[in-house]
Amino acid sequence: MPPLVHHSRVPRSLVAVATLALLLTGCSASPQATESTAPVSGGTLNYASGDAEPTCLDPHVGGNYPQALVGTQFLESLVSRDSAGTIIPWLASSWSQSADGLAWDFTLRENVTFTDGTPFDAAAVQANIAHVQDPKTGSSTGYLAVRKVVSTSVVSPTVVRLTLSEPDSALLESLSQPWLAMESPTALARSQDENCAAPVGTGPFTVASWVKQDAITLVRNDAYTSPPADAAHTGPAYLDSIVWRFIPDSASRYAALQSGAVDVIDNAQPDTIVQAGKSSTIRHLDAPRPGASNRIELNSGRAPFNDPLVREAFVRASDVDSAVASLFQGTATRSFSALSSIEPLGVSRPDLFGYDPEAAATLLDEAGWTGRDSDGYRTKGGVRLSVVFPVSTNQSIPAEQSLFEQLQATAKAVGFDVVLSPLDLSAWYTALGSNSYDAVSAPYTKVGPDVLRTLFDSAGIVPAPSGYFANHAQVNDPEVDAWLTEASQTADAPKRAALYAQAQNRVLEGFYVLPLYDQQNHYLLSSVVSGTRAMPTVSTPTFYDAWLNR
Amino acid sequence: MSDLEIQAGLAGAAARRQTGRGLGTRFGTRFGGRVGLTEVLAAGFVLFLLLAAFAPGLVAPGDPLAIDPRAAFQPPSSAHSFGTDESGRDVYTRVSHGTGGSLQIGVAATLIGLGLGAVLGIIAGMLGSIVDFTVNRLLEVMFAFPGLLLALLFIMVFGPGPATATLAVGLATAPGYARIIRAQLVSVRSSAFVEAATVLGRSRTRILVRHILPNTLAPLLVLGTLGIGQAIIWAAALSYLGLGAKPPAAEWGAMLSAGRTYLNTAVWMSFFPGLFVVLTAISATVLGRAIERRLRHA
Repeated sequence: MPPLVHHSRVPRSLVAVATLALLLTGCSASPQATESTAPVSGGTLNYASGDAEPTCLDPHVGGNYPQALVGTQFLESLVSRDSAGTIIPWLASSWSQSADGLAWDFTLRENVTFTDGTPFDAAAVQANIAHVQDPKTGSSTGYLAVRKVVSTSVVSPTVVRLTLSEPDSALLESLSQPWLAMESPTALARSQDENCAAPVGTGPFTVASWVKQDAITLVRNDAYTSPPADAAHTGPAYLDSIVWRFIPDSASRYAALQSGAVDVIDNAQPDTIVQAGKSSTIRHLDAPRPGASNRIELNSGRAPFNDPLVREAFVRASDVDSAVASLFQGTATRSFSALSSIEPLGVSRPDLFGYDPEAAATLLDEAGWTGRDSDGYRTKGGVRLSVVFPVSTNQSIPAEQSLFEQLQATAKAVGFDVVLSPLDLSAWYTALGSNSYDAVSAPYTKVGPDVLRTLFDSAGIVPAPSGYFANHAQVNDPEVDAWLTEASQTADAPKRAALYAQAQNRVLEGFYVLPLYDQQNHYLLSSVVSGTRAMPTVSTPTFYDAWLNR
Repeated sequence: MSDLEIQAGLAGAAARRQTGRGLGTRFGTRFGGRVGLTEVLAAGFVLFLLLAAFAPGLVAPGDPLAIDPRAAFQPPSSAHSFGTDESGRDVYTRVSHGTGGSLQIGVAATLIGLGLGAVLGIIAGMLGSIVDFTVNRLLEVMFAFPGLLLALLFIMVFGPGPATATLAVGLATAPGYARIIRAQLVSVRSSAFVEAATVLGRSRTRILVRHILPNTLAPLLVLGTLGIGQAIIWAAALSYLGLGAKPPAAEWGAMLSAGRTYLNTAVWMSFFPGLFVVLTAISATVLGRAIERRLRHA
């Protein structure tokens, strides 16, 4: 999904993180800590998000990360993913596909009801797919994920069949995302405003109230029966309730955590993570998002980056490593891949992305950018070598914006005039939609390597009716298209991996993107909170297993 | 600073003059009154600012945009007297090189505000009746919006950037100046010497040009000096909000904004640009008051 907001990093292994959490609390000197190994029921957890407050809590509508963050607490999907990347049962207990890959039967978990009493059955799944595909819903992320689903049918109350237009190797990964969570058909039948204010799911919590620009209050669902296969316990959640607040300012958010006013914060910035590292009462959960890595996409659809030599020169002229080291202070690891480090099928090519200003200068000479203007920038035919770089201030954290400034300085040494323009989200979309950019950094979160098709298939150059398009590098390579299409259709796992690797290598070797690091997604938790983990799907935290030892 | 504050300030300065009390230790009694230590310090600081604005290379020879990632987040030291920022840029060099831009915005915005305010104030004060009524209502409407909000509205319509920020601050300060100038003009118009001139049969034009305007516009110099400090603060506020100078430009408000993220760990990144904004505003105010005092003596 094109995330709306700040992003910031993830769980290598959730099991490891959970274990670490237990160890940490177990090792703490506080008197309660020794008792905390046995979960305690009760209490209210205070959460402070640095993401934008959603305008609608139903993640079917639009579909962005802030919706996924809070939605994870009260909505559930048909399947989930474990920390190794394997799809595991959730609301669907098993599934099978026909030999041609065009029909998928999902057997649903029995005796599950939505929190409004509506039973969860095949008809409910049907209603949800229909809701996501209904243009009136205005779904974008969920809609794209089930684009190949042409019809749904009720085989029996506990078996639902999805019929596809073509095979979809990413279907299960798509269905694991919160943007395709299952909601009560009774609730979906209400007006969109009503459903946005309090969507009804099968999750461990329910939305009790939402006071806009203040807080969302979630209370425990005492009748909860449907945790995912990798949850630590069964039955209702331990927490009585969760108060979900929005504190956009990073320093205030961290101060609230330090003072104990809140127990968990998201979007922790590098300097606060470093500070938290020195604290014995704050724990860090690093949960990179799946899908694309954070990268700078070079627009090959117009000069100067339509010339591969100039793209390579820009990559060689950018000292990313020094910038990441100084700005992220050890909280982010350099990426050399188009995909997140948590995607098993990601291809990493450190050999391609080294900083080498001399090589960059040679490449520019070779490409004919040999002139110099009075400001020291290179020129060709009297035209300055400038790179228009719109920066979304909503999506790039301050450290990332500073990183772009550093790249601007190192690229200047070679003769590039990088013009950074910080823009709000709508101006940024306009700049992209009107093709007025040479470089851009746009996060994209999606479970599984099929995100490559969204980012690099030539079909993604044409803006969707909403105006959004994701192939910002404007990669237009028929072979890449063919490999990605074939990969999305094959049921043969090794073949799929090989095709995705081929496509990634072509994109990386063509210098269409300059990978930076994983999509940063850091949570800081007070030591009073135990049992929290990030979902291995889109790395949102889940508080189903969490408990408090105040 | 609202016009009320300025008026209160003028009244306060007048009161201090009458009672012989003032700020700071004073030395010297010649040259139209005494020169206070604060005034000397303020003048010194303003001289430094002017030097930094017109010849930044003399004050800080480095490149304000030169990065050095390995030297990021260094606290003030002999090598970097104001410390370094997140990209290892020298904060002292950036603050010094940022002076020109900040002063330029402050002076230009004040001139715009004063110019517009003078036109409105004189029109209202001189033409009277319906025009006075209309201008006054217009000013009241503008006063209903806090100045910064008015500036934000202007930027919303015309887009962000240093030029629009200057215009916006100028427009936002104009109503205050207009009201002061109008009040001054009305009081001068009904003063004894204007009455005398009228009695002596001088023409209206001659009275306006020889008596009313000089006595009305003289305080503008004081208002302007006082206003520059305020305009710099507002311009910095707009840059702080991302609506003025764009990063990585060395501009005080933009530097404050960038430093805000690291307030917990690298306070010098915001402290020094903030200090310069404050000192500039204070110096301009102190000098404005000093000029005002001397004018009254004269």
